[in-house]
Amino acid sequence: MNVATQRQHAKTLFAQAGLPTKRNEHWKYTDVSHLSDMAQTQSTAQTIQTPTTTLGIQNLDAYVLVFNNGAFVEALSSLPQGVDITSVASLLAEENHKLTDLFTLSGEEPLFNGFLALNAANAADGAAICIKANTKLDKPLYIKHISNQNITLRHGIYFEAFAEAEIIEHYLGVDDNAGLSNVSTNFILGTGAQCKHYRLQQEGSKQSHIGRVEVKQYQDSNYQMHAVELGGALTRADIVVNLAEQGASCSLNGLYVLAGRQHVDHHTRIDHTAPHCTSHENYRTVLDGRSHGVFNGKVVVHEGAIKTDSAQSNGNLLLSKHAQIDTKPELEIYNDDVKCAHGATVGQLDDKQLFYLRSRGISEESAQELLTFAFADAVLASMRNEVVRRYVEQAAFAKLPHGEELEELLA
Amino acid sequence: MLVIKDLHASVDGKEILKGINLTIHAGEVHAIMGPNGSGKSTLSNVIAGRDGYEITSGSVIYKGKDLLALSPEERAWEGVFLAFQYPVEIPGVNNTYLLKAGLNAKRKHFGEEELDAFDFMKMVKEKAKVVQLDPSFLSRSVNEGFSGGEKKRNEIFQMAVLEPSLAILDETDSGLDIDALRIVAGGVNTLRSKDNAIVMVTHYQRLLNYIEPDFVHVLAGGKVLKTGDKSLALELEDRGYDWLLTEEANAA
Repeated sequence: MNVATQRQHAKTLFAQAGLPTKRNEHWKYTDVSHLSDMAQTQSTAQTIQTPTTTLGIQNLDAYVLVFNNGAFVEALSSLPQGVDITSVASLLAEENHKLTDLFTLSGEEPLFNGFLALNAANAADGAAICIKANTKLDKPLYIKHISNQNITLRHGIYFEAFAEAEIIEHYLGVDDNAGLSNVSTNFILGTGAQCKHYRLQQEGSKQSHIGRVEVKQYQDSNYQMHAVELGGALTRADIVVNLAEQGASCSLNGLYVLAGRQHVDHHTRIDHTAPHCTSHENYRTVLDGRSHGVFNGKVVVHEGAIKTDSAQSNGNLLLSKHAQIDTKPELEIYNDDVKCAHGATVGQLDDKQLFYLRSRGISEESAQELLTFAFADAVLASMRNEVVRRYVEQAAFAKLPHGEELEELLA
Repeated sequence: MLVIKDLHASVDGKEILKGINLTIHAGEVHAIMGPNGSGKSTLSNVIAGRDGYEITSGSVIYKGKDLLALSPEERAWEGVFLAFQYPVEIPGVNNTYLLKAGLNAKRKHFGEEELDAFDFMKMVKEKAKVVQLDPSFLSRSVNEGFSGGEKKRNEIFQMAVLEPSLAILDETDSGLDIDALRIVAGGVNTLRSKDNAIVMVTHYQRLLNYIEPDFVHVLAGGKVLKTGDKSLALELEDRGYDWLLTEEANAA
């Protein structure tokens, strides 16, 4: 099948599947019925005129790829040596065979989750990246997306054997226009490859975001992800990792900081298909106002995947009595020789801790914010890139009146 | 400095303090002793401003102000300090910056300049020596992973940094081995001055061997049954509390 046929096939699939409904167990808490029109409407890319350099993470020493309303802007990008980077749009134009794998839809999910088929059918652009064997990228690759309309993107990032790189995927809004981002990012990590991946969602207040990250890991490769949810009205992200060969390891870290009526739903799925693989998952949510968080962490340990080591932890802090969290670990284990642990907590700020801080002279409001910050720090502290971490800290807690003075309080 | 008059306080509708009278002057060290459930910890918490206690009558006047009308942080700014019986662990909050923020909030309240970061660190390192606190504890999260003795030392370290006028040590001696007790008591003695007052709440006379009180009060059934000097503590050590309770019953 060539790419054009694949995309035609995807259209047919969508016609059959439609968008997922709440009747589907995995979409139970996230209603997307109102997104139907936007999902199927292809906006003509209107270039946003705001200078992109002023948006996003400043002072980040990185190679940059800019996508303005779904279109790659080469002129604003700075690309590294030793890495093949091509826009998906240009590969599509020449019907390049390299795209065949990237646009393949497999498994059962496309049969009920129409967003997958829509993405494959409609993606007009994306980054096709190949980091060559034994190449260690000296600076992070910062993929900056700026949007205020409907966009559909499909990225493919291929790490050859022992390649190492840090990928920062950032979704930024510029205004309160309504739109839907349907974005799929596909990683393949070759033997011994190492990928650090930051995925920051900070879109406009009326933007909805359907994201998908798929990772296939070969022997001894390592994938570390931090997914940060700050903006948008409704976000659904599916993060799917296949530990396909012996010794592969991944860690998935997530942080939501939500308020108002924001809704964020992450479904993660880790397949342990090979022996001696390790997976760690740590998700924290801070929910204020009438926001609604959903976390579903599924781990499937397949029959031959002996000596699997898997741990999952999910902590949820409800700052308002109207905020809501639905959290569910799902473990499916098909062999005896495994170590699996999971735990979820839901709570409010601790009265004893609050009193302790106040008795040391910290005002009530500052003490509340400080404890909130400290709670999120369980995920923030594991971000190795300091510039990214500081950016996230500031973005997440800028809304707090004492955000600035609290910063240095962090352990 | 502190005048408590006929203080009655309840928890969940149950009266715990049944008319406490106590006067404390600057420069004095008071010991409050008593059996379990006598109201010692309730008294400490009410003075520090913890939620969950209903003051049904009486007054607490501190430096001429109505202490009960102040929030816990305002009490801290005015110089009240509670060394907790069970110091809470706060993962993610740095031990040193907690104190810096507390001190700066106080300075801001009184319209003073913020602390110079360099001077502050120098001062903190000096104060850590008072209780022989390893400097590595300064950069750790508040009490996280500290042993029982380390937590108590950390409380006295905080007291040293915050320099309160009125320090209440709530069972600071409990759970300490003799070496740790010596260190903690040594720290407290260093901090004694004519300008501040210290209230030690304790079960045991043991602590009073190391920190000599000017007054000893026996609290039982929510009241101060007897007040004396340090010899009263020794008598309690010998005879227990029962004779006092009997005396009280007979008097009634």
